[in-house]
Amino acid sequence: MAVAVQYYLLLSAAMFCIGLLGILTRRNALFLLMSVELMLNAANINLVAFSLQYGNLTGQVFSLFVTALAAAEVALGIGILLVLYRNFGDVDITKATTLRW
Amino acid sequence: MPTRPHLNLGSHLLPGLVALALFAVLAAVFLTSSFGEAAGFPTDVSITANIGYALIDLQRLGTIPTDGFLAALLIIAVVLDAALDGAVMLAKREGDEKLIGIESTRTDGGRPRDSAAGGTDSGSVSDTASDTRTGTNTEEAN
Repeated sequence: MAVAVQYYLLLSAAMFCIGLLGILTRRNALFLLMSVELMLNAANINLVAFSLQYGNLTGQVFSLFVTALAAAEVALGIGILLVLYRNFGDVDITKATTLRW
Repeated sequence: MPTRPHLNLGSHLLPGLVALALFAVLAAVFLTSSFGEAAGFPTDVSITANIGYALIDLQRLGTIPTDGFLAALLIIAVVLDAALDGAVMLAKREGDEKLIGIESTRTDGGRPRDSAAGGTDSGSVSDTASDTRTGTNTEEAN
């Protein structure tokens, strides 16, 4: 009846690898933030899957905290992105190569 | 001489191969391991209520085993507050300490816009529209 935990892990691994691919290949900072979100949510899937596997709620509660941490990270990331665009006129991370301008 | 499309091979495909190899390794490990039967949760108790109890260290009121997370809740509250302050600090302009509000927010990154031309255009359009409407009314009256 219940889905075996291996398939949750497989889904989570696929999401993590898609996020990793995005981080390695994308140059737009917005897509980079989205890729980090994918990787964090892959970790969340693992937490919730093993919470069901062991009948213990700790994983589900912890995934809430991971989500809150992701929100904080995105708030700072978008702030940095604003400054990046203001100073370089672009959100391409490969163009921001100088500390002073 | 006829040309045909070629597969663009090269070192730029390396990140994709890395990600794919990682997925292959992970999938091989997951599918060959055994985790046993899932314990699951009882169906007659509210999981949401138990999560709420766990968040404020009242897990003895619930029935599903869990840890207390009151300290983590307070720490994450401070972290979110710090992130909000950091985002506001980053979004401020360096010259004037004024926070960028709705009026001065520009989607093109702060380049000045020419509002004079737009105002003149809209005024002339409304004048024409009112003239037309007056004309129509006059015709109907006649």
